[in-house]
Amino acid sequence: MTVSFTLNGRARTYAGDPRSSLLEVLRETYRLTGAKDVCGEGFCGACMVQIDGMPTTACLVPVGTLEGADVRSIEGVGTEEQLNPVQQASIDFDVVQCGMCFPGMVMTLTHFLQDNPQPTREDVKSALTGNICRCTGYERIIDAVMSLSLAPKPLTEAQP
Amino acid sequence: MKNAHDPSLAVMDLPRRDARDKLRGRTRYTVDQAGPEVLHAVLLRATVASARITRLDVTPALAMEGVHAVATHLDAPGLHGIGIADHPIFASDIVRYHGEPVAVIAAETLALARRAARAVIVDYETLPPVLTLQAALAPDAPLVHPGWENYDVLHPGAARGGNVAWEARVDRGDTDAAFARKDVTIVEGSYDVGRQNHVPFEPRAVIASYEDGRFHIQTSTQAPWTVKHVVATVLQVPEFAVRVTVPAVGGGFGLKFDCSLEPYAAILARKSGRSVSLVNSRREEMMTCLCRENAEIRIRSAIDAEGAIVAREATVLMDCGAYGGEQVFLTTMTAHTLAGNYRLGAAKILTRAVYTNTPPNGAFRACNGVYNTFALERHTDEICAAIGMDPFAFRRRNVIGDGDIGATGQTFQGDVLRPMLDRMIDKYPVERRSGRLPDGRLYGRATTVGTWFIFVGPSAATVNLNADGSATLVTAGVEIGSGTMMQSLPQIVAANLGIHPDAVIVKTADTDAAGRDLGVGGGRTTVSIGAASEAACAEVREKLLTVAARLLQTSATALVLTNGRVEIAGKPGSGMALKAVIAEAELTTGPIAGSGAFTAAGTTAMPGCATGHFIDAIDIPVFAVHDCEVAVDETSGRCEILSYRVVQDVGRALNRRAIHGQIQGGVVQGIGYALTEEVTIGADGAIEQTGFDTYHVPLAGDVLPVDFDLYEGAPSLGPLGTKGAGEVPILNVAATLACAIANATGKPVASLPMTPERVAALIAGDAR
Repeated sequence: MTVSFTLNGRARTYAGDPRSSLLEVLRETYRLTGAKDVCGEGFCGACMVQIDGMPTTACLVPVGTLEGADVRSIEGVGTEEQLNPVQQASIDFDVVQCGMCFPGMVMTLTHFLQDNPQPTREDVKSALTGNICRCTGYERIIDAVMSLSLAPKPLTEAQP
Repeated sequence: MKNAHDPSLAVMDLPRRDARDKLRGRTRYTVDQAGPEVLHAVLLRATVASARITRLDVTPALAMEGVHAVATHLDAPGLHGIGIADHPIFASDIVRYHGEPVAVIAAETLALARRAARAVIVDYETLPPVLTLQAALAPDAPLVHPGWENYDVLHPGAARGGNVAWEARVDRGDTDAAFARKDVTIVEGSYDVGRQNHVPFEPRAVIASYEDGRFHIQTSTQAPWTVKHVVATVLQVPEFAVRVTVPAVGGGFGLKFDCSLEPYAAILARKSGRSVSLVNSRREEMMTCLCRENAEIRIRSAIDAEGAIVAREATVLMDCGAYGGEQVFLTTMTAHTLAGNYRLGAAKILTRAVYTNTPPNGAFRACNGVYNTFALERHTDEICAAIGMDPFAFRRRNVIGDGDIGATGQTFQGDVLRPMLDRMIDKYPVERRSGRLPDGRLYGRATTVGTWFIFVGPSAATVNLNADGSATLVTAGVEIGSGTMMQSLPQIVAANLGIHPDAVIVKTADTDAAGRDLGVGGGRTTVSIGAASEAACAEVREKLLTVAARLLQTSATALVLTNGRVEIAGKPGSGMALKAVIAEAELTTGPIAGSGAFTAAGTTAMPGCATGHFIDAIDIPVFAVHDCEVAVDETSGRCEILSYRVVQDVGRALNRRAIHGQIQGGVVQGIGYALTEEVTIGADGAIEQTGFDTYHVPLAGDVLPVDFDLYEGAPSLGPLGTKGAGEVPILNVAATLACAIANATGKPVASLPMTPERVAALIAGDAR
């Protein structure tokens, strides 16, 4: 049995064990190690990818279920010349620390902002329920995300 | 010529050079390094807490196709430890904790290594385990280390015996006489705390190979020179036969300040002739974490009619788990926490690190300072209640100031805590400390103080000035996420050499290239490696300016380094580009480089008052004032934090944004410790929280923005007057929340974590 899907815009055919998690396949077969194996149980979000545009924890998806799917991992987001807005805001606000959670954070928040261009801080926090960070204490990530909101900026808005 | 530059040049909000790749998923941490050529290893861990191994047969595993090597205690005869060499890397005849390694297997895949581990035959004759401090200290307790007397003592002078791995004490002045005085009020308290798991997102991980007769160890560590030393010790090979390099580290928080998985991978690499990867699974990481230890603290103070603390006695029991580890060293730090915040007439403090048949504990951001501050500040509020004095006024009156003496009799320099307290209260005047909110919840507010230290000690640095006018900084420092290697060190070097920090290349740690260093921890990197880097820069400046003075026909003292040029001071444009001076140097003296070193100042204490201590005094104290408001739901016990404020002593803030990140992150880690993160040990001696479903670290919805104020100008030996800013933000979080919850509920909060269940029980009167 083989599985054919698109990975970061490129056609792939996977011939290994269909029960392997997408996370294992990304990391070991394709050596795309941006998605991190942190909890392996879907709680932490460090392995978040987008499957047909939806943020999904790669550790819980058997690769055999992905026939015809469009998979995007962190390696398929932004370019060296042009980061995506969440990546750029994270640099501008100096929010990255150890960095292990950020690939997943970028995947979740990028999708979230597409659907919620004018979020409240509470909206952003709710969106991050499945993305845990052990270093930053979150709030400065929220500052960075709020800077991308299309809503009119209050005068007290945090600056980078 | 040292410090001949303007220190303010080092102050800036430099962005992190590693952020871009981290955000793009391109950074290769140790866990990302293993390609298809690497063997995968698995540890076979004991499934009992205390036992005699009656049979260990690895031949069935070794016979499996695809298994390349198996190792046991026969391959690693040495013992290691801090203070006492009590720790073998494999259980040989005796198992001392659930999860202790018994064997390790390298195979072509992880799945195969796991199957092979299950094929190893181990028979246990179980023994009764001691799982709690009380059980360990009972008169007839079984000994965790029956042969404790035979271990090598690496730091002499402490009392030891039975299940007491180490005892540190301070006896300063006559506490008996003070407690016997008729005019004092005596206040006593006892407190207990659980363990805290670091949960770094990158687990402990290593890849080892054996090349040209030497081990090469790539590892996720905070302390490459410690890894080098311990690997050599347990394998009984010369230290020069071990090279340690460190890729990006995905979080440490103290967990990676000790050697852990590295020796296993090293043995397998030599045996198999292949590169071997060993990575803890999340379950292993949870169950064998070198946690912040559980502890019991008793404090007793005598207060006179003016509110002075005339004497204090304290006993602290720290659970070191099955081996002494970091707790042995940390017994020293009890004294500096319980007797380093307030002026004490006399002090008697006894700290014991106690063996139990539980997973060993270790270092965690501000270590026992966090719970000793919790106990002390709750005790301080209980003193205030007993003598009827306002808690702010009491603290303001009694905090350590200029010329006051600390735990071991050292003299503190400068008034720091008092003006920090004033700054907090001026900014946030106290209207009330308890009450009821319109929504019916109980309101509480508290302000606390904390004293901790910057862990100094040896660091080395080399600075090579390159032909293009850039500089390369070579140290054994590691970037664990705090930004020190990405921000403060390049900022310091750049300011010293008059170049932009982007032109400072920071070499990642490699013990073959960089000199000895104690490791990244204890808030020491900016201070110790920073000071060594400044010393290296001073040599570079001297060589550079000597050549430039000749070219510019002036004296070296008239020259300054700025914007990548050497200029005659006060005459911009008068000099020449660094590149030109370097080119001239190459023709006359050769390329320019400097080396620098730093070590502890060895601040003096009062002779004879400390026993079993690793350091007599703290070279660089660091202070914090925290304040918070909470709302407590009486029925559920749920605590919401309404505000959280920090005034932190930073010496000099080199990068305010980066320090803000450390404060926000450190406070939130402290909130987890105080409220939700609970480690329990089952009857089988195993840690019961094996993953994120049962161990509750704070989520985005649980936190709030922390207000902060950086207190600058306190005395510091650090370069440019800096102090470490990353460790201390966690110091008084549990203390502040506990005091606020006690104020809200009117109940004597004495245990951590303050889970909703525990707080509800306290309110209902079912518990302390």
